Amino acid sequence: MDRVTTARTPRDRAAGLLRWYPRVWRERYGEEFTELLIADIAERPASVLRTLDVARAGLLARLAAAGLAELHVEPLADPGRRLRGSLGTLGAALMLCLALGTALCSQLAIAWARTVPASVAVPARQASLVMSVALLAFAALVVLAVLPVGFAITRNFSRRLLAPLLVLAAAVTALVFGAHHFIYQWPGTGGHGGLLPGGVQAFAWSLTFWFSSAWAHWAWLAGFGGWELAWMVASPLALAAATAAAMTLVRRVEFSPRLLAYETRLAAVACAIMGVFLGGCGYWICTGRHPVSVADAYAGLLDVAATVCLALALAAAYQAQRTALRTLRLARR
Amino acid sequence: MPKQDAGRADDNAGLAGFGRYAGPATLILSSLADGPKHGYALTKDVEEFAGIRLAPGTLYEALARLEAQGLIEAIESADRRRPYRLTAAGATALQAHLDAQRRVTDTGLRRLRVHWWTA
Repeated sequence: MDRVTTARTPRDRAAGLLRWYPRVWRERYGEEFTELLIADIAERPASVLRTLDVARAGLLARLAAAGLAELHVEPLADPGRRLRGSLGTLGAALMLCLALGTALCSQLAIAWARTVPASVAVPARQASLVMSVALLAFAALVVLAVLPVGFAITRNFSRRLLAPLLVLAAAVTALVFGAHHFIYQWPGTGGHGGLLPGGVQAFAWSLTFWFSSAWAHWAWLAGFGGWELAWMVASPLALAAATAAAMTLVRRVEFSPRLLAYETRLAAVACAIMGVFLGGCGYWICTGRHPVSVADAYAGLLDVAATVCLALALAAAYQAQRTALRTLRLARR
Repeated sequence: MPKQDAGRADDNAGLAGFGRYAGPATLILSSLADGPKHGYALTKDVEEFAGIRLAPGTLYEALARLEAQGLIEAIESADRRRPYRLTAAGATALQAHLDAQRRVTDTGLRRLRVHWWTA
């Protein structure tokens, strides 16, 4: 990268390298670090190792700012801000877990409702049982986590919260109305009852309509109506917007230390529950073939890919939770 | 407590929890032991006395860590290049760490003399 940009002045190049770091780091060390980089560039005009070193350190600082790496890399941030950073990341990671978990459960719910060979139906139903119970417990925790946060937002409302609140409200409204609209297409009707009421299963399936192997089958995809395709694209975007808005809210609201401690502990339980869900998922992937009789290999691959993504999101959530817990302990000293 | 265990305990008291940053941290603290320096001066000094050039990212990673632990502190300056100085806690930590390092060095040299260079 350095070699390509030799025509730029050392200050320009230093400014470019500084962008690897998060804003909070730049605010504290940016000026002096730029001076060091300018001196270093003057001495060694072309150095790939310098670029790699800065990129590595910058990314680590970004991870720290997101509550995913060691505390000391982030400069002098107050514990409350660190904690809110960790909780924001934690919330986003768990939201991704919830979305993927709902999508996987919806697939299994269809299988549960259909008559399939016992060799594939039994492991799928056992896994479905574990995953559904875990997902229900997780949903209960979400309610327990969101209620006090909502209360804190109303008590500490400021204009800074208005934009993320509006985005969150718009995204959630779009998701609820959109999912409700496409419920009628749920293929899991008839056959067996399943663990959850049919309406709930259908809503969950419609909400995660984008989770489909149709993306890999253009002919199949072409058979979809325009509104269905629009929903398949718009719903994950709305979900991402809702997650981003929720993260911004968490980072902007001043929560009491007691509430932060409560949310951190709740997050630990949520990670454990999602671990159980992942176990059920792994069991399904390992022991049962895809039980839905769509007769294509891509559905199975999609489930494996989703399970891997879920595991990664859970790992990120666990790391953020550990960082939040360490910050809590440090703040109490 | 055996002697070597006591040494390890002292070492941990010096630069506790620095892990892979202990190397750059020791070099920076040693450099600041003879007076405040800014980033570039630190790099040049370390290069001169240790023959190691600390890359900018690594240097500031270690500086941020040392500052967060209260072992060094930034000095207010009109210059854009902010200097850092050793704190009392930093001096104590460096002393403990170097004492432990010296014990390792002394033991290694003594054993080399006894088992390799006496024949």
